[in-house]
Amino acid sequence: MSARNVISGQVSNELPPLPEPVIAHAGELQRREFLKGVGGLLLAFTFEMGARGKAAAAAAGSTNTSITSYLAVGSDEAITVYVGGGEMGQGIYSGLAQGVAEDLFVDWAKVKVQPLPAALSWVTGGSSGIMRRLQTMRAAGATARQMLVNAAAQTWGVPATGLVTAKGTVTNPATKAVLTYAQLAPLAATLPVPASVTLVPNNAFQVIGKNVPRQDIPAKTNGSAVYGIDVQVPGMVFAVVKHCPTLGGTLASVPTTPVGALGVIPLYDLSGKNINAVAVVASNTWAAKSAAENLQVRWTLPATASTLSSTNFATQAQSLLSGAAPYTVEQSGNAAAMYASAPVKLDLQYNLPYLAHACMEVLNCTVRITASTCEIWAPTQAPALVQQTGATMSGLPAAAVTVYPTLMGGGLGRKIEQDYVSQAVQTAKAIGKPVKLTWPREEDMAHDFYRPMALSRIQIGLDDKTGKVLSWSNRVVAPSLSIQRGRTLGATGDGIAVEGAASRPYNFLSRLVEYVPHPSPVPVGYWRSVGNSINIFAVESAIDEAALAAKMDPLQFRRNLLVNDARTLAVLNAAASAAGWGSALPAGHARGIAVSNAFGSIVAQVAEISAPTAGSITVHKVACAIDCGYAINPGSVEAQMQGGIFHGLSAAMWGQVTFKSGVASARNFSNYRMLRMKEAPQITVQIVNTNSPLGGIGEPGVPPIAPAVANAYAALTGVRLRNLPFFPGATMSEG
Amino acid sequence: MITLNINGKAVQVDVAPSTPLLWVLRDVVGLTGTKYGCGVEICGACTVWIDGSAEKSCDVAVKEVVGKKITTIEGLSPDGASHPVQKAWVACQVPQCGYCQSGMIMKAAAMLRENKKPTDAQIDGAMNNLCVCGTYQRIRDAIKLAATL
Repeated sequence: MSARNVISGQVSNELPPLPEPVIAHAGELQRREFLKGVGGLLLAFTFEMGARGKAAAAAAGSTNTSITSYLAVGSDEAITVYVGGGEMGQGIYSGLAQGVAEDLFVDWAKVKVQPLPAALSWVTGGSSGIMRRLQTMRAAGATARQMLVNAAAQTWGVPATGLVTAKGTVTNPATKAVLTYAQLAPLAATLPVPASVTLVPNNAFQVIGKNVPRQDIPAKTNGSAVYGIDVQVPGMVFAVVKHCPTLGGTLASVPTTPVGALGVIPLYDLSGKNINAVAVVASNTWAAKSAAENLQVRWTLPATASTLSSTNFATQAQSLLSGAAPYTVEQSGNAAAMYASAPVKLDLQYNLPYLAHACMEVLNCTVRITASTCEIWAPTQAPALVQQTGATMSGLPAAAVTVYPTLMGGGLGRKIEQDYVSQAVQTAKAIGKPVKLTWPREEDMAHDFYRPMALSRIQIGLDDKTGKVLSWSNRVVAPSLSIQRGRTLGATGDGIAVEGAASRPYNFLSRLVEYVPHPSPVPVGYWRSVGNSINIFAVESAIDEAALAAKMDPLQFRRNLLVNDARTLAVLNAAASAAGWGSALPAGHARGIAVSNAFGSIVAQVAEISAPTAGSITVHKVACAIDCGYAINPGSVEAQMQGGIFHGLSAAMWGQVTFKSGVASARNFSNYRMLRMKEAPQITVQIVNTNSPLGGIGEPGVPPIAPAVANAYAALTGVRLRNLPFFPGATMSEG
Repeated sequence: MITLNINGKAVQVDVAPSTPLLWVLRDVVGLTGTKYGCGVEICGACTVWIDGSAEKSCDVAVKEVVGKKITTIEGLSPDGASHPVQKAWVACQVPQCGYCQSGMIMKAAAMLRENKKPTDAQIDGAMNNLCVCGTYQRIRDAIKLAATL
């Protein structure tokens, strides 16, 4: 009997679990809802929300701190996992299904994943889908399997311990009798839920760790995948949104409905106090878009409009950098004194711009309202918030609001927000018909919740003879997402703003990390990897500058500083080795390296670049290494690393949104350039499995690439790029 | 009424003649596999075939395609799975969010009809659609695989 067939006895759980999941029979209500008359075994399991999930729930007025999911083993052979997360390209459904299939002992392809109702959903973000939930899903699979085995034991009148499970069946080796899970499920549903179960050990995995094909991919190759923008409701009309172009502007008067349009609807912003946009409704999106473009709208601009410029924002931030009282985020030793007496002092400043999300699928939402119901179809990372928004804007109780989360054509943090949902509900209510509201690309770019701008000053007291960092002081000035969302900061400031600046694994002999919130009239939001992509650029650039000041190889300099962190060191070495660090390069090429620890995963990248002209950088290759604890689907890990690198590289090269008199610069891809295939580096991904607690993969690929490229550029040219983007003002024309 | 030939079928639509084909396909005909990305011919998410040639449908007025054969992602293969490019896309696990992939597939399939064995440089030159997920590397691999199927 192989390890896989052992169903009792002590089997170590090598992937460290989260707090014990609570697994129970689901109530009758859920049974009816999910199984729709098909008898079978339905297990409910709950787990604690993460910090951001709790914050989002609190913001929505909910006191829930745990999330319930369901596993159904039907008497009709169907095995379904109901989860609260959304699919935006990261492969979450497939990853979680792999976990269930592993411990339930069924073929991977048999497990189907379905979204839960909004009230039971979680916020898809923070790279948390697998990291926080896989072990609980596995435990549910193992629990169901044990109950199915117990049902077989009862049926045959034999002890459960000798029975064998495989491919959705239970076998009695002594008699060769076989029963399927489908046959056993009704009896299993009547048996007690086991108090504890054991999971399949890592060395016996048959599904986890394998490159199983993602279930969502075939539909994405033939046009049948339904994104929010593809939803069709009988009798629906089409709307586009037109915002006041100026931050803080409001509608002065409602324009007359133009010929060819069905209506012009004034739209409140999320505060519910100001009308900052209109929806133009027509018989198709193009007709609505054309009417909106020609619509003359009078706006009342704020008295401060002329001051809302990037130049002013930069001046404010610069004065806060030296003038304001900072939050102390992290402190050890006396960094100021050690800096004062250090043989070599580096005083460095890095500047980062506001960034748009630019998801391929623009914001959109479809709504059908009656006197007593509100249905919302939305590409959303936060269905529970959509339900709350629907209730607020329709005036109906939350229970009357049904949310149908769709596939997302990218989320990147933008589809957590509720502005587009609120607008669609308002429009449907006013026009009295089902409506699909779409943001033209120009609105999507110009009315984002942008990644915050940031200034980061890093002072390093260096012993240039030994390469020791005697002192490390980093002060970050950036708008606070938390303050803008009405939260009160704790004693150490806004943890989101200093992600990547705090808790660096390096052995600094003294350190001081500080944060100053920068009041900003620009809406800011979560952008793939959030604070990490900002702060890792500054930190990993500064480390490189220190290495060069000490006349040491940047890789060796980092190795010396990573004496207390074997995991990070191993990942750094894996990337360096894959890149052939130190080996000869073609003339005009150079390498740069950077490493980050974000969302529980460690990622190192080596970029090989050339700079064929003064105004360009070509990134030829990127060698990436990741330790995410254990790669559940290595192919998905590789894809997410590639995606993170492309996203981070587009931003580093060209990404920037500036403001002039309160108006955002970004209009379309024409002035928000992103990588095309001919500019795409060849990326290799080394996966370092350490059986450490699971980390995320959706975001950790982003942060290291910008500093890796800047460090390579410094190695190549001697010029240090301390401002992002490297090439501001870039444009893009027809492909 | 305007009569169009879409995926081998005659389809009648009642729209302004200047309406871009993209919005006629999506909002009037209900073929939503063709995607809106930028509306200004930069991203290529709206790529379809017009008389076999890959074109961005966001800037083609519907009156200009009367009498021409329009092929969308839904019409690429009879079963939605058997075109070599579709098979290669699944084999190489190309899509992430998938939103740009209809346009990518229509572009790749048109290119492979003209050039049975494209080089890396030829692929990079032809495949200028935008993918924010960064699936370019797998697209390159999938095109090379499709060329062998």
